[in-house]
Amino acid sequence: MVVALLVAPLAPIVAGLALVTGDRSLRSVSRHTAYIVSLLATLASLAASVLIAKDRPVLDRQWVPEIGMRLHLAVDGISVPLLLMTAAIGVLVVLHARHEQPDGGTPATFFGCLLLVIGGGIATFLVQDAISFFLAFEVVLVPMWVLIGRFGDRRDARERARAAYTFVLYTVLGSTLMLIGILTMTFAAGTSDLAGIAAHPLPAGGQTVVALILLVGLGIKVPMWPLHSWLPRAHTVAPTAGSMLLAAVLLKMGTYGVVRLVLAPLPEGVHRLAPYVGALAVIGIIWGGLVCLVERSLKRLVAWSSVAHMGFVLLGMMSGTEIGLQAALYANIAHGVISALLFAVVGGLKHRWGDDDLDTVRRSLRDISPRLSLTFVIGFAAAMGLPGLAGFWGEVLAIFGAWSPGAGLPSRWFHVLAAGASVGAVLAAGYALRVLWVVWHGSAQGGLPPKPEPESDARGNEWVVAAVLGAAAIALGVIPTVLLHATADAVTHLMAVAGR
Amino acid sequence: MKLTYDWWLLAPVLIPAVGSVLVLLLDALAPRLGRVHWAITAVLLLAGAAAVVPNALPSADNPRDTLCLPAGTCLYSLDHVGVGLQLTALVSGAVIALLALPIRVPAERAAVQATLLLAATAGATGVVAARDLGSWLVMLELATLPAVALVALRARRSAVDGALSRLTTSLVSFAITAMGAALWFAATGSALFTGDAVLNAAHDTDSRRILVLAVVFIIAGLAFKMSLAPFHVWTPEAFGGASVPIGGFLAVTSKAAALAALLVIFRGVTVLGTSALAAIGVLSAVSMTLGNVMALRERNALRFLAWSTVSQAGWVVLPLATVSSRAVRSAAAYLVVYAVATLVAFIVVTALAHADGREHATGLASYKGLLRRRPVLAVTLALALLTLMGLPPAVIGLVAKVAAIGPVAGGRLWVLAVIAAINAMLGVAVYLRWLRMLFGATKGPDRADRLHPVHHALVIVGAAALVVTSVAPHSLLQIVGR
Repeated sequence: MVVALLVAPLAPIVAGLALVTGDRSLRSVSRHTAYIVSLLATLASLAASVLIAKDRPVLDRQWVPEIGMRLHLAVDGISVPLLLMTAAIGVLVVLHARHEQPDGGTPATFFGCLLLVIGGGIATFLVQDAISFFLAFEVVLVPMWVLIGRFGDRRDARERARAAYTFVLYTVLGSTLMLIGILTMTFAAGTSDLAGIAAHPLPAGGQTVVALILLVGLGIKVPMWPLHSWLPRAHTVAPTAGSMLLAAVLLKMGTYGVVRLVLAPLPEGVHRLAPYVGALAVIGIIWGGLVCLVERSLKRLVAWSSVAHMGFVLLGMMSGTEIGLQAALYANIAHGVISALLFAVVGGLKHRWGDDDLDTVRRSLRDISPRLSLTFVIGFAAAMGLPGLAGFWGEVLAIFGAWSPGAGLPSRWFHVLAAGASVGAVLAAGYALRVLWVVWHGSAQGGLPPKPEPESDARGNEWVVAAVLGAAAIALGVIPTVLLHATADAVTHLMAVAGR
Repeated sequence: MKLTYDWWLLAPVLIPAVGSVLVLLLDALAPRLGRVHWAITAVLLLAGAAAVVPNALPSADNPRDTLCLPAGTCLYSLDHVGVGLQLTALVSGAVIALLALPIRVPAERAAVQATLLLAATAGATGVVAARDLGSWLVMLELATLPAVALVALRARRSAVDGALSRLTTSLVSFAITAMGAALWFAATGSALFTGDAVLNAAHDTDSRRILVLAVVFIIAGLAFKMSLAPFHVWTPEAFGGASVPIGGFLAVTSKAAALAALLVIFRGVTVLGTSALAAIGVLSAVSMTLGNVMALRERNALRFLAWSTVSQAGWVVLPLATVSSRAVRSAAAYLVVYAVATLVAFIVVTALAHADGREHATGLASYKGLLRRRPVLAVTLALALLTLMGLPPAVIGLVAKVAAIGPVAGGRLWVLAVIAAINAMLGVAVYLRWLRMLFGATKGPDRADRLHPVHHALVIVGAAALVVTSVAPHSLLQIVGR
């Protein structure tokens, strides 16, 4: 079963590299071939991920001894859900890319870049070695840069280039800061193994500095307010498939990094910084909510709601409680599903409308495109945290965790933070309803409803993608225990190690 | 006085040194052979590299000495890092000779250029292992001065300008280094770098002051040769003026020589503690930042590479700002990776300059659409640029970045580490600018000549080298030892 550990990340990466380099230099690859190759690669990767989740194999080999980098692949309760979600979203993204392939380059380049991002994401959740974690982190950068910069919104070339640059420069700065933190801990612990680092913590004084550097670095990726400004820009410009990956996979790499590199090995540093980071998280929640209330561009609005949602994840992590961390991991997955769904639907709408301006008066979506409208409603209802849908549990449990923070944290301050987060949840309801009113209800002026236009509704791959994601959002909300159980043991273990 | 000789150990220095004389002799006997000289040069340098290989085997972990005095001190000592630097210098010299081979120059000039290249490479190889002031200084200058003539021999106005600025800085840096060497001798009373003389001098208050001054002078002198800011001023002029392969020689072989010279005296620096190391840290930070900022606006490909080498020089010496057992090895590892990537970039530019004309290949804008026009060149250049940025798929570049930052982070020099992180970001912005041009619509001459077969082969070898080392970084990094 060790083979599965290699197949899961390498199938997409190798296929992606083959598509990108083989195209043109050998022979030009047709759109259909690129699609089939990508679909097979992602399906292989998904199958391998399921096997990994079931059997939990371990691979540990020497790789680059000069910098202490080992090839150590394994999973635990924290990474399994993320791994499965990434692999599944990978398949859906490829399906969606068949439906909507943007201009700007050849199909093989487009699919190849998508595969590289997917493979990098899967590798990130598999590696157990801090330096190879950094490597996996960086794998996604260049392909994502190509996706945004070349396949992005055709309307404004300057804005496209700027968004791509902002994305890549912010992220490189963040990951290099993360590298500094990683290397400091590696040097002190004498090993770059994640478990080894957690077992040999730095002295308390050093922990705060390292935690600060790591949180700034990873905070750019998450993104944490005020380091978020690359995100709305990148999302607005990126093609739909790229946006789905960005939201569902790339942001999760940041939060996963916080769990692995900050919470586990640097408990005392986190303890000292938690009130401040928690405050930034809540500012992010409220800030994102307020922007969403007035934002005109639908895609940008979904991006801003991501900033708010990731605020809940960070708040849960900073609460220093088991339930808070559980909530964060749950909200992580929930946000992955919801944002992928929203970007798929909203991207489809933008494609149909030609732009995504909310001020343009349009006919109501529920009448014209019932399928799109259904998934749209599910997505925004979940985003506002409606009970019974995926978004609810993460938000509620994060606020719950913050209300009774871990021992030694200023409980009054965290009460304020929990209250602030609740205000953010109310704002989420506000903007979600606003969007539903404008788009779903539309400008229907009474009288007979307009005829449905089945030809403009979601069909084929697009409908499959939206339906699967919508069903997942409902399933996560109805039976949250499956996911909570999956992470429970690992979280208890992590808290025990960190609380020692 | 009786010396012991180990000819095998000395061969990597002797082959190019004797070779340079032989090339001149050959030219006297059979004038106007032209290209043959370059071929001979490449063969000689590769033979030199082959002579290094036995020392690179894992069994040769301990330093190997020769030219030993009866007292037991040796004037020539080669450790694992030294082996890596010698290989870098010799192989890069051979590549430069092969690059120069197809370029048409007046036949009587080829022999002179080949001689100069051989002599400079011999100097670069020798300085690695020199363990006494005299031969260290001679070898260092042997590595530097022929390069001035190499720049000037393109015989254009810009080349002469470049050579002149390189000559003046070389002389100044020689004066400074010689001054430093003299002070070193005054402080330690010994012409040897090894031994207890340095330790003793560092412990005595008076001689310590002189030693600090000596080290500062030597570092400043070497900074000229390494083109570390603020001693970099000659770099863009010389790169822009010289013929393209010679630019590559300045960027790679000369830099290997300068780093080797720095590493020889580095032990003395560590004895002095953090104040001397701080000087290296400042040079590194200033270099990285200035090089990146200037490269961001540069429109000429050669000058772009010059600024890139200024910033990369900062990365090379970054690990040396710490007292870490890994510092020397990390610096050497970064240099080796930088050397491969920069050499590949120069191969591509040379090949393009030869096929499309120098005017065309030196403007960054003319690289637009290279992917469509010449996919092999474009992919190779893209790999080289990705390596210099340190981003996957060029894993080897990322590994080098990790190696360079490692000692700094381990030593908790937060300010320097954060400056390095910011420069990693700036570096990505710099190289992405060029990378982005490779895509997009074609803008080039209507008629595109075929690449010269030698250039074509080198491009493919370069691309293969980057791919192989990215898949197995260990294969390249092991030449500087574990």
